[in-house]
Amino acid sequence: MTVSPVASGVDEQQQPRRLQRSVLTFRDALGLGVVGLRGRRGRALLTSVGIAIGIAAIVAVIGISASSKANVLAVLDQLGTNYLTVTPGQSLAGDDTPQLPPDSVGRLSLLDHVQSVAATAHLDVIVRRSDQMPPTNTRGTVVLAAEPDLLTTLNGHLRSGHWLAAGPRSYPTVVIGATAARRQGVDLAAGDQLLWIGDQWFAVVGVLDAMPLAPELDNAALISTEVATQKFGYQGSPTTVYLRASPADMDGVRDVAAATADPTSPQEVDVTRPSDALEARAATDTAFTTLLLGLGGVALLVGGVGIANVMVISVLERRNEIGVRRALGATRRHIRTQFLVEALVQAALGGVAGVALGTAITVGYGLSMDWPIEVPFAGLAGGVLAALVVGGLAGLYPASRAARLEPAQAVRPI
Amino acid sequence: MTRPVLELVDVVRQYPGSPPVRALDRVNLTVLTGEWVAVIGPSGSGKSTLLNLMGALDQPTSGTVRIDGYDVAGLDDERLSALRGHSLGFVFQSFHLLASLTAWENVATALVYRGVPAAERRDRAAAAMTRVGLGHRIGHRPAQLSGGECQRVAIARALVGEPALVLADEPTGNLDTRTGEEIMGLFRELNGDGTTLVLITHDPAIAASAPRRVRIRDGRIVASELDGVTG
Repeated sequence: MTVSPVASGVDEQQQPRRLQRSVLTFRDALGLGVVGLRGRRGRALLTSVGIAIGIAAIVAVIGISASSKANVLAVLDQLGTNYLTVTPGQSLAGDDTPQLPPDSVGRLSLLDHVQSVAATAHLDVIVRRSDQMPPTNTRGTVVLAAEPDLLTTLNGHLRSGHWLAAGPRSYPTVVIGATAARRQGVDLAAGDQLLWIGDQWFAVVGVLDAMPLAPELDNAALISTEVATQKFGYQGSPTTVYLRASPADMDGVRDVAAATADPTSPQEVDVTRPSDALEARAATDTAFTTLLLGLGGVALLVGGVGIANVMVISVLERRNEIGVRRALGATRRHIRTQFLVEALVQAALGGVAGVALGTAITVGYGLSMDWPIEVPFAGLAGGVLAALVVGGLAGLYPASRAARLEPAQAVRPI
Repeated sequence: MTRPVLELVDVVRQYPGSPPVRALDRVNLTVLTGEWVAVIGPSGSGKSTLLNLMGALDQPTSGTVRIDGYDVAGLDDERLSALRGHSLGFVFQSFHLLASLTAWENVATALVYRGVPAAERRDRAAAAMTRVGLGHRIGHRPAQLSGGECQRVAIARALVGEPALVLADEPTGNLDTRTGEEIMGLFRELNGDGTTLVLITHDPAIAASAPRRVRIRDGRIVASELDGVTG
């Protein structure tokens, strides 16, 4: 593109030719940015590290939280989401603790689309590792009466041993949850194990796997309802009813479950869907995620300030270069572009390194947690983009300082 | 017919202050195509100010500066930069080569802002290096070159765009006498090939190489000498 020289009152014939404009092609600008950093490799690398840390933190947080969510969803997929738990709720009068009627289990099992129902009842007895221990030392284990169908209803698994034998004959046997087994030091592989429940010994016949959809069972020592009735006077009023229905009809079953369990006071019955709680827990992790993202953002900001700082020094050191370039035809705009590109190149280097590092952290953490690994592409692209934005903002001030330098001052020997 | 490359008419450059400093006071000077003019003056005489005005690095307070036919008055930054890039070549006392670039890359930098394609830049830079006698050193970096070689690279950079006028500011100031003489020999050779040169120096011995010498003192031109007869 050409422009006519400005005449400004001087004879037009004195300025016969058109003045060619100075140019700086995109490729040359990029080249200048890279060459400018080539001369200061160590410094450029250190500056990029700040950006890299910030981006890595952000990418890792996004990746880990995505992997964690993917894991929750995978677990839910495996466990199934077609469960409801029915528990006594709050008494409207507020005087006594509501109870589920003993026949609620039978009524619930008659509902359409309900596949399986089983109940547990909390027993007011104490479990200890031995009778020599003080009664306060229960190690957090509670005693529950469990119906025979409980394991199949919850699709649960035994880690070792077998489930409580059903039948009229009642032996003092117990199955304990995964956490309770760990706390009580029960390991069936080490031989027969006994627990002191109430005032007698019970033989441990099985240990459950962890039950993500019924985590209250992890802390429980489960005995059969017959034993509970005979030894501890269990009246048959359940504290939790577990219900499995066909997945398509969950909403319909949920709507009628309370009234079915206790027709006289359905408002005193709570019906929950444990998978909802798990999903909600995955969602509440976002608060923590936001905090970590904020920290990553701060690191990124500090990285940006680092770039700005180093660039300001660089502009002072390179006055001669700026002067020479101006003498060779570079406009203020070209100088500004050159320094801006340098800032952007440093930030982009940091961004790419940060994305790689963040991905590695995500993969490493996911593998160690045995999670499905999920690195969202949008997070990676966003990481590089964020680095570029920070670099661009950081470069603005030094670049405009470089551009403002008077060429006559800049070429003077220091 | 020879055309004026540089015309200064009643040029005044005054720096603000109290009292204002008049660095140049009604200077008139015309440099024709093919000439070699030395501007001689002690430090503080105003020769740096004069160089800045001749190099379109600064604007006069009053008077007219016309470079390669363009009146610099009223040119904006874009156009002044373009004028420097297309019509002028600079040689500085301390060379001002870029340390991270090789010799030929330094020379080629003069063509970047003129939009010359990269391949052509390389060829022309190599040719300019050969012209100053450094065709065998094009891949070296400034740190690997002697002072005299660095100044030759700087001269190649000033020449590579074939400017209407080359301005040299104390080009031998950082060199020993012998190397300085070699550089002056190179200038003589270039002027013989038709390059228009303005040399600024405080050293009368260096200035003696130039056929035409202009003395400046306290911002005024006090003497003008010419060897023999010019066309």
